[in-house]
Amino acid sequence: MTVAISVQNLKFRYPDGKEALRGISFEIADKECVGLVGPNGSGKSTLLLHLNGLLPESLPKSPDVMIYGRALGRETATEIRRDVGLLFQDPDDQLFCPTVYEDVAFGPQQFGLSEQKLKVAVMKALEVTALAGHEHRSPHHLSSGEKRRVCLAGVLACEPRVLALDEPTSNLDPRGKRNLIQTLKSIPSTKIIATHDLEMVVELCSRTIILDQGTIVADGPTHSLLGDEQLMLSHGLEKPHILRHLHPH
Amino acid sequence: MHIPDGFLDAKTAGATAALSFIGLGSSLRHASRYLPARKIPLIGLAAAFVFVAQMLNFPVASGTSGHLLGATLAAVMLGPAAAVIVMSTVLIVQALLFADGGIVSLGANVFNMAVVGPLSGYGLYRLMRVVFRGEYGRLVAVGVASWFSTVAAAIFCAGELAWSGTVAWDAAFPAMAAVHMATGLGEASITMLVIASIARTRPELLNDSIPPATVRERSTGFVLVALLVIGVLLLVAPHASDLPDGLEKVASTLGFEQRAPANPNIPAPLEDYKLPGAGSASTATIVAGLIGAIAVLALSLLLARVLVPRSRTIPPFSPAQREGEV
Amino acid sequence: MRHDFLDRYSRLGSPIHRLPTALKLLATFSLILATVAVPFSSLWFFVVAAGLLLIVAAVSAIPWLFIFKRLLLLEPLALGIAVMALFQPNGTTIFLSIVTRSTLCLFTVILLSNTTPFENLLRALGRVGAPRILVTILALMYRYLFVLIDEGERITRARMSRTFSTNRVRRWQALASLIGQLFVRSTERAERIYAAMTARGWK
Repeated sequence: MTVAISVQNLKFRYPDGKEALRGISFEIADKECVGLVGPNGSGKSTLLLHLNGLLPESLPKSPDVMIYGRALGRETATEIRRDVGLLFQDPDDQLFCPTVYEDVAFGPQQFGLSEQKLKVAVMKALEVTALAGHEHRSPHHLSSGEKRRVCLAGVLACEPRVLALDEPTSNLDPRGKRNLIQTLKSIPSTKIIATHDLEMVVELCSRTIILDQGTIVADGPTHSLLGDEQLMLSHGLEKPHILRHLHPH
Repeated sequence: MHIPDGFLDAKTAGATAALSFIGLGSSLRHASRYLPARKIPLIGLAAAFVFVAQMLNFPVASGTSGHLLGATLAAVMLGPAAAVIVMSTVLIVQALLFADGGIVSLGANVFNMAVVGPLSGYGLYRLMRVVFRGEYGRLVAVGVASWFSTVAAAIFCAGELAWSGTVAWDAAFPAMAAVHMATGLGEASITMLVIASIARTRPELLNDSIPPATVRERSTGFVLVALLVIGVLLLVAPHASDLPDGLEKVASTLGFEQRAPANPNIPAPLEDYKLPGAGSASTATIVAGLIGAIAVLALSLLLARVLVPRSRTIPPFSPAQREGEV
Repeated sequence: MRHDFLDRYSRLGSPIHRLPTALKLLATFSLILATVAVPFSSLWFFVVAAGLLLIVAAVSAIPWLFIFKRLLLLEPLALGIAVMALFQPNGTTIFLSIVTRSTLCLFTVILLSNTTPFENLLRALGRVGAPRILVTILALMYRYLFVLIDEGERITRARMSRTFSTNRVRRWQALASLIGQLFVRSTERAERIYAAMTARGWK
């Protein structure tokens, strides 16, 4: 089994001294879908930022993160960013081009795709996210669900092997959520999803990692972890309703 | 003070466009060479911010409202070259999209508000910081510098209108200067309040340690200052010759010269002050300006005192050398 | 979207909208240059120009009220400066000349900006040789204008629900606090945007 993501004893401290990650270790296999859950401030977003080298600001000589066998260091960071597509929490931060088409094309363009290949990649990504026909719209005319889909398309256009998603369903209405979950189901890449949406984790992720105050407190099959009422409550979480139904406790 | 199209003649529009082109070009080159990539989104957002800030009305007096220029705020937070770019992009978008400021007169507007504004504000700020130190000193310097930058921009605007023959200097200068000395008070207070609030919530954003600039980096500064000097020579200096006459008239009217009044019981009418075009309005404006500057300094000292508690201040003129202080 | 007053009509389908951007820009600049340069004695020019603009406006399907309101917004400043021109020999003619020219130019730019999406203007600028860094900054600025306006509204609403006095000092404080918060949020957002750009390969 190919190892997609390998993290060894990852530690991180913010400039103001706050310890965000206190020695995280885990491995994610190719094509696995892992949910990353935990209370606010547990370090979920910070961890995701380490997966494509955005943090730490100056990458270490002996990196703690390996993506498909390659160590994430200063020289490899740009290449690895092609392999790890990061979807940020606030679509407005990620949707910075004047039109939908230009924004989705940004990644492939930066990574040096030719004009024709670019167009193909962009149109394919727009198809997958049900945005075909919206190429010429401006971001400020889009709804928040549409913005999120554009961001996803922008990430997919680079054809990454790993999708790292930060709160993908936040601020979405039920239909938007449903569509996003369906779309994610159809994408075969390795996925790691940081989220509060435990219902989505149950639906999409076979495995869950629970993070609390910068350490991994549990790592295992989704149903057993999220179904464990005690475990959930002790880490500021709640057993999702869908599991209450299946496991009357 | 966005000059619309139709107010400037060809030579003025052309000359100011050339100056602005060089100023902006120089700043852009500086940015692409010496600014780290992470600052580019910051400049874009700062421009959006200034645009929005300029849209806000602040109440001045019974119904009238003033607007923020933001040139000094941008210069103090981002440095002068970046501020030139920020203000220029705001003006370009305002002109192209909202017709706020003309296309032909874009060069003049950029020169006034994106070159003169940030440069004069930043220059005075740094000068004052030599003497006014610490958090308290920073607020005082920011207050006076923002007032000054607004007035300076307005003066150049008047110069352009005069050089074009659209409005006589002796009408434009007093009017523009007077209005902006008043608006400048708003600029000063808002800028001080904003810097104070940033100092309180995110002090690390205040650019307190500027690394020593290499000679090549400094060259942008030289270019910008040179442009300013040319601007002064073209637009302001030609009117300075009116001064001596104006001053004489002021002196004689006030009775400094020995002159017997026609009727000792009736005070000599101050007719010179009422006639525009006689040169005295301009002189009066200069005098008012000097008084205004002192008043602004006093007000800034007061407001800064309110904003920064006594225990955290270093008194001005202090020899205490804090490392890396701007 | 509440703030679409800034960009409501630039994408309509009228014949004017569909004209190539380069043509519209050229026409705009030529007309403005001519309007500024033609001596006021040739009144026929200004009449023809006005007629032309009115026809273009009619074809463009932009609501007349909108155009009128935009003109109204900007006229006071032009009038204010123009009034100063009255204080000189031949002042009245100069005044009329300035007001005519500036109104026509205003009208032209209003038509241009409301029949052309901004990114088309930017692309044209890029093709004419504007430095890449400038075009990038202009694009970012335009994009985040709307985001900042939204944030500003949110901050104001939050504050208004906690403010009960209308005295002027409080209003200044509220304004300054709004501007300060907006600045800090802008810098934070800029950092996140940089991260997002880097994540997709930007250097």
